[in-house]
Amino acid sequence: MTQRSLTPPTAPCALPGSPLEAARAGLDSCVHCGFCLPACPTYLALEDENDSPRGRLLLMGALLDGTVAPDDPTVGQHLDRCLGCRGCETACPSGVPYGQLLEATRATVAAYRPLPIIGRLLLWGFSREWVLRPALVAARLVRDLGVARVLARVLPARFAMPFAMLASTARPTRARAGTPGTRAASAQTGTTNMGDRGTASLLTGCVMEGIFTEVNRATERTLARNGWTMCETQGQRCCGALHAHAGDLDGARALARANIAAFETSGAETIVLNSAGCGAMCKEYGHLLADDLAWADRAARFAARVRDVSELLAAVGPAAAGGSATATSHEALTPVAYDAPCHLQHAQRIVDPPLAVLRAASQIRLVPLADSDQCCGSAGIFNLIQPDVATRVLSPKLARIAESGAQVIATGNPGCLMQIGGGLVLAGSEVAARHPVELLDEGYEREGIRR
Amino acid sequence: MATLATALEQIVGAAHLLTRPPSLLVYRSDGLPGHRAIPSLAVFPGTRGEVVRVVRVLAEAGAPFVARGAGTGLSGGALADGIVLLGLHRLKGILAIDPDARTATVEPGVVNATLSKSVAPLGLHYAPDPSSQSACTIGGNIAENAGGPHCLKYGVTLDHVVRATVVLPDGEVMALDRGEGTGYDLLGAFVGSEGCFGVVLDVTVRLAPIPEGVITLLADFTSVRAAADATSRIIAAGILPGALELMDHATIEAVESSVYAAGYPRDAAAVLLAEVDGAVAGLDADAEAIERLCCEAGAREVRVARDAVERARLWQGRKKAFGAMGRVAPHLVVQDAVVPRTKLADLLEEIHAIGMRHDVRVCNVFHAGDGNLHPNIPYDADDPAESARVAEAMSEIMHRCIAVGGTITGEHGVGLDKLDYMPALFGADTLDAMCTLRDVFDPDRRANPGKVVPVRSCREWLAAPSARTH
Repeated sequence: MTQRSLTPPTAPCALPGSPLEAARAGLDSCVHCGFCLPACPTYLALEDENDSPRGRLLLMGALLDGTVAPDDPTVGQHLDRCLGCRGCETACPSGVPYGQLLEATRATVAAYRPLPIIGRLLLWGFSREWVLRPALVAARLVRDLGVARVLARVLPARFAMPFAMLASTARPTRARAGTPGTRAASAQTGTTNMGDRGTASLLTGCVMEGIFTEVNRATERTLARNGWTMCETQGQRCCGALHAHAGDLDGARALARANIAAFETSGAETIVLNSAGCGAMCKEYGHLLADDLAWADRAARFAARVRDVSELLAAVGPAAAGGSATATSHEALTPVAYDAPCHLQHAQRIVDPPLAVLRAASQIRLVPLADSDQCCGSAGIFNLIQPDVATRVLSPKLARIAESGAQVIATGNPGCLMQIGGGLVLAGSEVAARHPVELLDEGYEREGIRR
Repeated sequence: MATLATALEQIVGAAHLLTRPPSLLVYRSDGLPGHRAIPSLAVFPGTRGEVVRVVRVLAEAGAPFVARGAGTGLSGGALADGIVLLGLHRLKGILAIDPDARTATVEPGVVNATLSKSVAPLGLHYAPDPSSQSACTIGGNIAENAGGPHCLKYGVTLDHVVRATVVLPDGEVMALDRGEGTGYDLLGAFVGSEGCFGVVLDVTVRLAPIPEGVITLLADFTSVRAAADATSRIIAAGILPGALELMDHATIEAVESSVYAAGYPRDAAAVLLAEVDGAVAGLDADAEAIERLCCEAGAREVRVARDAVERARLWQGRKKAFGAMGRVAPHLVVQDAVVPRTKLADLLEEIHAIGMRHDVRVCNVFHAGDGNLHPNIPYDADDPAESARVAEAMSEIMHRCIAVGGTITGEHGVGLDKLDYMPALFGADTLDAMCTLRDVFDPDRRANPGKVVPVRSCREWLAAPSARTH
């Protein structure tokens, strides 16, 4: 029966008291214009509006008015398949707060449809230091002994990807390569007099510190080189982004409180992150804890101090690495393409700063990457719990990378580094995925050698 | 229905056939969600061959169906009320580009802006640019004979279609062209038939060179009347701008609060966005003339976009204005009427008065150059009293547009939304003739039934097979 214009139903809320009900106002902003469709990686890959932002928003509304049940497996599947890339937010003229709505929906349906066991296991582990630390040590061992690379080669594709991802994070051994615990000394090595930019402390993150240790050290060196005084913050934890995205808002809040408390005593003015996903989460601590009277203000103050490393560097104009680039012909420089992490460009709306960081690295030249604003399919633990969808989203990305002629893909998020890196390993490609700050740090190191 | 579903699944595969009500829910609306209708099933073929097979299976079953592209239409045209929804969005192939002939042959699911993007390296673009061009599909553009800001100078979709292969509702595949002096222009009849004549399989469209020069101006007015007056002066002076768009204060506010904030003056009563394009020679003179005419009509300021970035920003704001209205209120109705340009100023004042009288907020953003009005009314559909006032105000606005010699759609199509206005515009004989034309393509009236021509007003309709089954 066609319902003629202007008379949508005013059904009572089917999920009273749910996080989704609390976020309901956000749904009202959607006018169903469809401008989000081409910005959605799962819509492009799966070609069903149920797997699009506009479709999922409609399903959220249907959950609220009771048209569909919260345990409906079909609807659950469409919500599960969302990457949470928030590419729709920067396409949406109405300003629908999609990311917040998705988290609220996942938190609401979690009671009816728990995460798959692998997802629950991962979140459980990320919440517990005594599980996380040894697990990351084991992962490093598997990687550094070359086991990951071998397994990536011999296992069937479905199981090979996690090992390929891990193998892709290996970094060439360097004289001053960091291991966890040698941080302050490392950060001081490259310090030059760039003026006093104030104090900053790195939220080291779990995967970043455990797997991308060298990127963290490079971040500290680069900031020190550009005039920041770096200090360490004890007692920090995983940022909770993985938990929030999967609907475990309480788990995320517990971790947020621990981080807020830790950084209140750190003395650093700025909390700096080099992981786009973690940075986006930390900037939203105020929203996450808005209803917690004891923590709301503290969370908002914490969030106001958070900056992405590229944001900091671009604001002051990073010192160019090495003035001797003119000695090398342009063509001899390493071709590098930038791929924008969704949680940097869409969630934090940081678009140009990573390019400014890369331009300061004189040993490279930037080459364009088509569709660099499209998601790679990583999305936190998404690629582990939705491997098929993640692979379908990744595949056009790998094709564009191959077309670009780049030898290095620069991207500032651990999930993207591993998703793209793993995909490249499985494809037998020589292209490496690196963090932009690593490349600038390498530029500074070469400068040191030349001098 | 079960056997039909089985037959369709064999063609497209289980992943591209939806049969469960929760999955069909998201297909209940197009870009005008005040209208809702849930399909009985939705089928998404992936190739032209699959489309033909699907249509033949539907024909054998005698099943009515509705073709749909990206669902960005604004007339409720792509709604399937308890019948089959045929989604064409998976047919995204650009089949051929001929830079010498300046044509491209594409499948119906290609997104309008994607086509322009793909041919940009050749210095070409696809000129019709509906505001939803970032999402809408060429197939949908054909069905609605879509317009857009730049159609003032370049013409609408029909002016850019060379050839099309279509499958008629009975499953017959046909090549249509413009006739070119031999026989009737069947393609001309097909373009704008709102999915009632058949389904496009592929279409060859004309590509236009990217203009050598472009100058975009933003004129700032303290009254809507002055902006409308400037529009008339520009056209009367014999200048044919690439586009000439008017946005009123309420629209400016919505856009400036969005991610597409374009730098429109927030205190203006109206702005006029004018663009001249083409050969560089003479362009400055046109731009200067527009600036002078705007100032004579009372513009506070006329700004010229400095570079491509600023130009793109000014246009993004205009093109996303409809979506940005979501900020004003939870629901939105938009209309699409064309009136004689000389009547614009008076009519805009009347529209404002109608809005005041019914206590609703009318936002105007439209193609001033060709008198194509788009009054938008944001409102809260959960408030029945407000909803009723909105419906009355819109109806009054539309009847005023008809009364001054206008028509009820410039580019959105009649669909479901404007059915009721058709008898106000056309007599019974004309409506009957439309039904007769439809019968040529779809004698069983299974393609998009119940749209465009109101059933009750068409005498012959009542004798048609599908009318009897309802």
